Amino acid sequence: MSFKWKRLGENSLFLIPSIILTVALGIYPLFWMLRYMFYDYAGYGDALFVGLDNFRRLMRDGLFWESVGNTFIFAGGKLLLTLPLSLLLAVMLNGRLRGGNLLRGIYFMPTVISTAVISVVFYNIFNSYNGMVNTVLMKLHLVSQPVDWLGPKHAMLTVILVAVWGAVGNYMLLFLAGLQSIPQDLYESAAIDGANAGRRFWNITLPMLAPVAQMVIMLAIIASLKGYESIMVITEGGPIGKTEVMYLYLYKLLFPVSTGSPVAQQLGYGSAVGFASAVIVGAITGLYFFLSRKMNKVY
Amino acid sequence: MNEQVLSQQPPVREKRVARPSGNAGRILGRTVMWLFLLATAVLTLFPLVMTVSGSLKTGAEMMTGGSLLPSKLQFANYAEAWKQANFARYTWNSAFVSIMVTVGTLLVASMAAYVVDRRDFPGKSLYVTVQASMMFISVGAIVLRPQFDLMVALHLNTTLWGVILILVSAHSSTFFMLQGFFKAIPRELDEAAMVDGSGFIRTFFRIILPLLTPGLGVAGLFAFRHAWNEYILPLVFTMTNPQLQTLTVGLANLRYGSSAAMQIHLMMAGACLSILPMLLAYILANKTFIQVTAGSVKG
Repeated sequence: MSFKWKRLGENSLFLIPSIILTVALGIYPLFWMLRYMFYDYAGYGDALFVGLDNFRRLMRDGLFWESVGNTFIFAGGKLLLTLPLSLLLAVMLNGRLRGGNLLRGIYFMPTVISTAVISVVFYNIFNSYNGMVNTVLMKLHLVSQPVDWLGPKHAMLTVILVAVWGAVGNYMLLFLAGLQSIPQDLYESAAIDGANAGRRFWNITLPMLAPVAQMVIMLAIIASLKGYESIMVITEGGPIGKTEVMYLYLYKLLFPVSTGSPVAQQLGYGSAVGFASAVIVGAITGLYFFLSRKMNKVY
Repeated sequence: MNEQVLSQQPPVREKRVARPSGNAGRILGRTVMWLFLLATAVLTLFPLVMTVSGSLKTGAEMMTGGSLLPSKLQFANYAEAWKQANFARYTWNSAFVSIMVTVGTLLVASMAAYVVDRRDFPGKSLYVTVQASMMFISVGAIVLRPQFDLMVALHLNTTLWGVILILVSAHSSTFFMLQGFFKAIPRELDEAAMVDGSGFIRTFFRIILPLLTPGLGVAGLFAFRHAWNEYILPLVFTMTNPQLQTLTVGLANLRYGSSAAMQIHLMMAGACLSILPMLLAYILANKTFIQVTAGSVKG
């Protein structure tokens, strides 16, 4: 009996730090949010119970739904550029290639750099009147006038390009890991049968990669729906709300001071927005998982 | 880096039996592929080159756009950023937070992972489920407010310990990574140690942890990278306390300063100061970084 108690004591001793931290700083904040989404609470003073009022307001909140639309444009654009590009790079680097390791190292480099810091740099090099991007484009005679990269017309494209820059190396590496688990003899026998590179890619690489790709794409979807750090630094959601995404809109409700936003702090309504945003991300992830379930089978 | 990375490259074997007719097409294909790979590498490195070159330009040169490379190297920018823009303080804060978070995360996660891997106890599957779901629930910045309130209650809001505790509380991915490493250490080893009279805690710290060094190194690298690059959390926590700002926060804030327009060269020098340590760690540990990230979706 005492032996059992001793084991239990040892187990608890090792688990307690983890459990305390997870409960206090992970689970408690979630319940805090679930509670305050039914309150009118400014973040100071009294909280007033208002039932479902926050959700009624959410339904009519044009700015929120605009930000949801922007989130889809941002995430869609990022995924459409990132996934094919990273897969292509992975396929090219999968074979024996002179300097392949060096190239891998270079492509992966952006993922070790702080998003906020490199966004400060991007903010400067996309600057319309003295930014390096315009200087280079004009010297190459690709454009005659400086392009207003951070203006209403191109700001979304700019933040998407920055996001792609930061993400390609990561997904390239994940695809590469998947590619390397495909047995090499499949390719050899296909080559003997006379299949060219294109056919081998469609008939062997893609189907064999499907289970890994399913996971990778899911991670990419979640990451692109909830990413807002670089947008916050580069455009702060502007100009005229063109790059305002869901989680950035939420951030501004919670911490208006830091962004110079004119709205007052609204933690009650913010909780409802946070909940709705999490539900949207969860629903899209779930939908993707349902639609892609066939990818899980290896042919 | 070139030397180190290139030396890992497997020997190139030329065993292709080229058909004479397909030679021209193959050379064309190879050329296109190499052009694509090199163009991607150039685009990946462009912002980094801009950062380094910008950090060595004069403020006036930065303002007018001008050429890619500085006309005369201004190393004084670094001294100025270090002193005038307070980067000495920011660097110390960043280093303190990152080191403490790395140590804390490794300790908390490794203890929990060891118990979960080696022993059975009531609630084990609940614990694992909660840790797994902590990685997927994303409610954005909303959790920051209850976390902040907790830190105020503990009087930790005026120090960096609040930020450190919150970052350590998000240890679930480290937990799962380390659990994988523990599986590779044979159970007989700790059983034998305990038969020899070594207690549970002693066995863990003196026998098992040292064996886990490679795994701890990799997990530590990831925890360090995460803490070093974190932006939103220290931003919110140091809003009223500029002395506690980390590199990412201090640098991004320079953008809002009244004289920011005149200080682009200082911003670039600051960006270099905050990117270079991480980049250096990456280059030294390039192989480990790439292998482990690659391994993370294999299972």
